[in-house]
Amino acid sequence: MTDLLKSIGRWLDARLQLGQTIADVAAHPVPRSSASWWYIFGSATLVVFILQVVTGICLATVYTPAADRAWDSLIYLNYHQPLGWYLRALHGWGSNFMVALMFIHLLQVFLFGAYKFPRELTWVAGCVLLLCTLGMAFTGQVLRFDQNAYWGLGIGASIAGRTPIIGFKVVDLILGGPIIAGETLSRFFALHVFVIPALLIGFVGLHLYLVLRLGINEWPMPGRIVRRNSYIAEYQELVHKDGEPFMPHAAQKDLVFAGLIILSLLVVAAIAGPIGPNGQPDPTIIQTVPRPDFFFLWLFSLFALLPPWTETVLMLTGPVAVIGLLFALPFISGTGEKSWRRRPFSVVIVILAVTLVGTLTWLGTFSPWSPVMDAWSATPTPIDYVKGRTPLELQGAVLVQSKQCRNCHSLGGEGGMRGPALDDTATRLTRDQIVRQIIQGGGNMPAYGKNLTPAEVNALVAFLATMHPRGEPPARDSARPALPASSQ
Amino acid sequence: MTSIKLNSRSLKSLLAIVSLAGTFLAGCDSLPGRPTQAELPLRPSNVTDFATLYGENCAGCHGADGKSGAAIAMNNPVYLAIIDDASMRRVIANGSPGTAMPPFAQSAGGPLTDRQIDLLMRGIRKSWTGAPGAAEGAPPYFSSTAGDSSRGAQVYATSCQSCHGPDGRGGSAGSIEDASYLSLISNQYLRTIVIAGRPDIGHPDWKHDVSGQPLTPEQVSDVVAWLASKRPPPPLAQSN
Ligand code: HEC
Ligand code: HEC
Ligand code: HEC
Repeated sequence: MTDLLKSIGRWLDARLQLGQTIADVAAHPVPRSSASWWYIFGSATLVVFILQVVTGICLATVYTPAADRAWDSLIYLNYHQPLGWYLRALHGWGSNFMVALMFIHLLQVFLFGAYKFPRELTWVAGCVLLLCTLGMAFTGQVLRFDQNAYWGLGIGASIAGRTPIIGFKVVDLILGGPIIAGETLSRFFALHVFVIPALLIGFVGLHLYLVLRLGINEWPMPGRIVRRNSYIAEYQELVHKDGEPFMPHAAQKDLVFAGLIILSLLVVAAIAGPIGPNGQPDPTIIQTVPRPDFFFLWLFSLFALLPPWTETVLMLTGPVAVIGLLFALPFISGTGEKSWRRRPFSVVIVILAVTLVGTLTWLGTFSPWSPVMDAWSATPTPIDYVKGRTPLELQGAVLVQSKQCRNCHSLGGEGGMRGPALDDTATRLTRDQIVRQIIQGGGNMPAYGKNLTPAEVNALVAFLATMHPRGEPPARDSARPALPASSQ
Repeated sequence: MTSIKLNSRSLKSLLAIVSLAGTFLAGCDSLPGRPTQAELPLRPSNVTDFATLYGENCAGCHGADGKSGAAIAMNNPVYLAIIDDASMRRVIANGSPGTAMPPFAQSAGGPLTDRQIDLLMRGIRKSWTGAPGAAEGAPPYFSSTAGDSSRGAQVYATSCQSCHGPDGRGGSAGSIEDASYLSLISNQYLRTIVIAGRPDIGHPDWKHDVSGQPLTPEQVSDVVAWLASKRPPPPLAQSN
C-alpha cells in the first residue's frame, strides 16, 4: 500500500516538478535579521484569506443571492443550519481580522522602507490587494442585505453619484438601476464571489512570487542607503554572509503567529457570534441608526463632521488622492534611507493617519450622528421638564417630540446627538435667537419655517426658554427688559 | 530581537491544541455567540409585545409607564373608565387632526397594523386600570349638547381661576387661555382634561376643582365652549 502511494507520488513529482520547487522555496535564504516577529503580518493575512475562501465557499452553498431570499437564507444559517451561525461568525470576523492584519502589514512595510528599490512592484501589487480586500469587505457587507447594507450602499452610491457628468451612470452601474434592488444584489454577489476573489488570488500570487524572487526586505539599518546601482549586490552579499534558509527559522514565527490568529478568530467568533443580519432592507422601515462595519466607521464619522459644502469636493478628490499617493510612493521615494529612525516625516505621517482614523472610528462607535429615527415617539420627555410647566410649555414639549427634534437633539442625555443637547439651550440663546434657529435652521439643522404654524413656534420657544439649569439664569437680550423665566 | 526556539514536536502540539480548541468550540452548543431566539430581528409590524409597542410608539409623548409625559397620562383610572374602546381606537388609528397626536394606523399612513392597535388598547387597559369606581358619576366622555360659553366664563371663574388665574395671566398653574395653546389642542382634549384631570402633574379631576362641588356635565361642556370661543381664527393655526 505505502509502496503504491510512494510510486504514485514519484510519478506525479517527475511530471509536475513540484517537490524541487517547494524545497527551493523552503530553503531559499533570507537575511537573518528579517526572521523577526515584525515580519509575520503578511503571512497571517494570507492565512486568514485562505480561511475566508474556505468559509466563503461553505456559505455560498446556502446563501441565495435574490433580494427576497438573501435575508431569509442568513436567518436560516443563524437559526436552523447546525453551526451555520458559527460559519457566519467565522467569515464575518475573519473579514475584520483580515482587514486589520493587512493594515498592520501595510504600516510595517511602510515603516521598514520595504517598498523601495527593487521592490516597487511588490508594493504596487500590495496596494491592489488592499483595494481588493476593502472591496471584499464592502461587497460582503452588502450581501448581508440588511439595513446596514443599505447604509453602506447608500454612502457608496452617494459618493459615486457626485462624480460630475458620469455620476448618474456610475450609480446605475453599481446598483444595476437607479435604486437598490434585486439587480444590485446579483451584481454584488458576482463581484464578491467571482471578480474580486479572482483578482485577489492573482495578485496574491504575483505578490508572493515577487517576494520570493526579490528576496524579503532586510532589517533596515540607519545609514544603509538604498542605491539603484549597488543595492542588489549588497543584498546578495548580506544573504550569503548572514542568511539562513526560510524554513524553519523564519517560517516558525509565521506559523506560530498564524496559529495564534486562527485560535483567536475561533474564540472571537464563538463569543461574539455572527454579525447581523439586523432588520430587513425594506426602505419603508425606518429603524434606529444603521451602522456600517467597523472599517467604514471612520468614513461615517468623517462625513458627519465635515461641513456640507466640503463633502462633494473631498469625497471625490480625497480617495483618488490617497490611493494615487499610495501607488506612487515607491516611485516618489524609491531610494535612500530605509530605517524609520532616519525618516521622521514618514513616522509623523503614520502617527497622524493612525490617530486620525482611530479617533474617527472611536467617535463613530459611540456618537450616533445620524438621527435616532424613533426617538421622537420612543424617548419620553424627562419628568423634570414636564413638572411645573405651563400648558403652552407642555405643548412645546410635545412638539419637540412630534416635530422629531428629539431625533437630533437630546434631553436628559437621551435622543439624537446630531445637534447640541437642548437641556441648557436657554443659557446660550435668547428667545429671539431660538426663534431664528427654529425658523431658519442653519449649521446642519433643517429650516422649519414653512412647516410650523406660528402657534407651534410660540409653544416650542416657550418650552425651550425654560431650558436652563436651576440657578443658572437664561441668556438675556440686552435690548429687552428681563422677563420672568416662565412667563408667556 | 528575541526569538523562541521551536522544534517540530512543539509545532505539532501547537497545531493539535489549535484544532482541538477549534472542534471543542465549534461542537459546543451553548456558546455565547450563538444567536438566541430573542435576537431574531422582527419586522416592526410583527411586534406583539405591549411594552415594546407602547415604549416605541407612545412613551415619547405619553410618558414611560403611561404617566408624566408631555401629553395626557394613559394610566389615569378616571380616563380609562370614561373612554370607550371605539373612541380610543379612533384616536390612535387616525390621530387627532390639527394636533400633535399623529395617526398610527397603516391605513392612515402610520406604522401600526390593526392588530397592533388592538394589542395596544388591550395592554393599556390591562396594565393600568386602577381602583374600580374611580369614575363614578363622571360626566360622559362625549358631550351630547353644545355648551354655552357665557355660562362657561362663570364656571371658569369659580372652578379654574384659583389655579389658572384671571384674564389669561396664569396663576399657580399657567394660562389655559393662551391663544397659541388653544390652537394646538382639540376641544375633546380640553374636555378630557377637565373630567379626568392629570394626576401625574397635579391637575384635579372633575370632582376636585372645588372640593365638594363636582362639575356637572353641563358645566364641563360650558367651560370647554368658553375656552373654544377664545381660540383665535385660523391664521395663527395655519402654516406660514
Ligand atoms: C388645583 C389647581 C387647578 C385647578 C382648580 C384647575 N387646574 Fe388645570 N392645571 C393645573 C395644573 C397644575 C396643570 C399642569 C400644567 C401647569 O402647571 O400649568 C393644569 C393644566 C391644565 C390644562 C393643560 C393640560 C395639558 O396637558 O395640556 C388644561 C387644559 C387645564 N388645566 C384646564 C383646566 C380647567 C378647564 C379647569 C377648571 C375646570 C382647571 N384646569 C382647573 C391645575 C389646576
Ligand atoms: C436633522 C437634525 C436636526 C433636527 C431634526 C433639529 N435640529 Fe436643531 N439643531 C441641529 C444642529 C446640527 C444644530 C447645531 C446648529 C449649529 O451648529 O449652528 C441645531 C441647533 C439647534 C438649537 C440651538 C442649540 C444651542 O443651544 O445652540 C436649537 C434651539 C434647536 N436646534 C432647536 C430645534 C428644534 C426646536 C427642532 C424641532 C423643531 C430641531 N432643532 C430639530 C440639528 C437638528
Ligand atoms: C408626538 C406625540 C404623541 C405620540 C407619539 C402619541 N401621542 Fe397620543 N396624544 C398626543 C397629543 C398631543 C394628544 C392630544 C390631542 C388633542 O389635542 O386632541 C394625544 C391624545 C391621545 C389620546 C386621546 C386623548 C383624549 O382626549 O381622549 C389617546 C387615546 C392617545 N393619544 C393614545 C396614544 C397612543 C396609544 C400612542 C402610541 C401608539 C400615542 N398616543 C402616541 C401626542 C402623542
